[in-house]
Amino acid sequence: MGLFRWSQSRSLWMMHFCTGCGAVEMPPTMTSRYDMERFGIIPMATPRQADILLITGYLTVKTLKRVVRSYEQMADPKYVIGFGSCTINGGMYWDSYNTVKQLDLYIPVDLYIAGCMPRPDSIIDAFVKLREMIAKGEANGWKRYRENLEWYRTNQAKVFNVEKWSAIEP
Amino acid sequence: MNGEMEILEKVKKAFGEKAETAPKWERQSEIKVPLELLHPLLGYLRAQGFGHLAMISCVDWIEEGEFELVYHLWSYEKRLHLLVKTRIDRENPTVETIIPIFRIAETYERELHEMFGIDFPGNPNLTPLFLEDWDGSPPMRRDFDTRKYVEEKYGMIDLTKELWKREEPVLEGENGED
Ligand code: SF4
Repeated sequence: MGLFRWSQSRSLWMMHFCTGCGAVEMPPTMTSRYDMERFGIIPMATPRQADILLITGYLTVKTLKRVVRSYEQMADPKYVIGFGSCTINGGMYWDSYNTVKQLDLYIPVDLYIAGCMPRPDSIIDAFVKLREMIAKGEANGWKRYRENLEWYRTNQAKVFNVEKWSAIEP
Repeated sequence: MNGEMEILEKVKKAFGEKAETAPKWERQSEIKVPLELLHPLLGYLRAQGFGHLAMISCVDWIEEGEFELVYHLWSYEKRLHLLVKTRIDRENPTVETIIPIFRIAETYERELHEMFGIDFPGNPNLTPLFLEDWDGSPPMRRDFDTRKYVEEKYGMIDLTKELWKREEPVLEGENGED
């Protein structure tokens, strides 16, 4: 199990869900200046092949719906990183009528990066932390999501303004 | 200022006293008309070379019980910006669509319909643009209480509490799980 987790933590594919302003910090992180591939992390275009879902900022209700759907399309184990203060408490959109305030009410977040916006160093730092967490078996948001699905669904349904909401359509 | 005065004179001549015209500053003038003159005026201006409807904005004069619609027109030949303003009743805001004059208005009217609850009969596509699953009153109206809505719908984090000291994420335990 330890070896399994260790190898998992060394090869992470990341889908960056570029919402909000934070996406602009991703190019330097990915390219030669900070070069996140040193840590075995490469960007991935589709959720089905991705291990990390990086949410780079505020989410409107409309976007959240797409995020939840993408998240549910990812294969286990999967990790979510909330990037920027908008995902933590709404950031400077704390009283906006159309953005959600706490990302972890809707999908399980393993790690937050504070800042508005965080610099590439902090993103790298978060990746290193995530690697440690995976190796230790602490990054288990995907298990929490399964176990508490009902609770997450209720929260999602509340902002989507429906009785019951299922991300994957029947 | 010559170009401005020229077009304002023309409008005065064509629409009479009901059209209040005023130059605002260089390259920008405003024309205020009652609602029944709006469509003829926009058609007239389009024929005069104001072919670019840049946007339609709306001002909520809540104290006077009125919305003011502002149609921003630009002419590439004259290099002039015209603000065509008209006031409508706030209780029952209805304006005939201007799609026959400016095709682009479809999207602008759709947005105003969503944000201010103004109805545009004749516009075939007044479906939500940004606000999927919206359940409040139109959010750009001044009597929409943003903070109350946010508190009820999304919940606010109490920033006076030291969140980072909590032992586990708020969500756990909610479910009665260990
Ligand atoms: S945290 Fe700051 S930089 Fe990031 S999306 Fe929010 S406002 Fe933009």
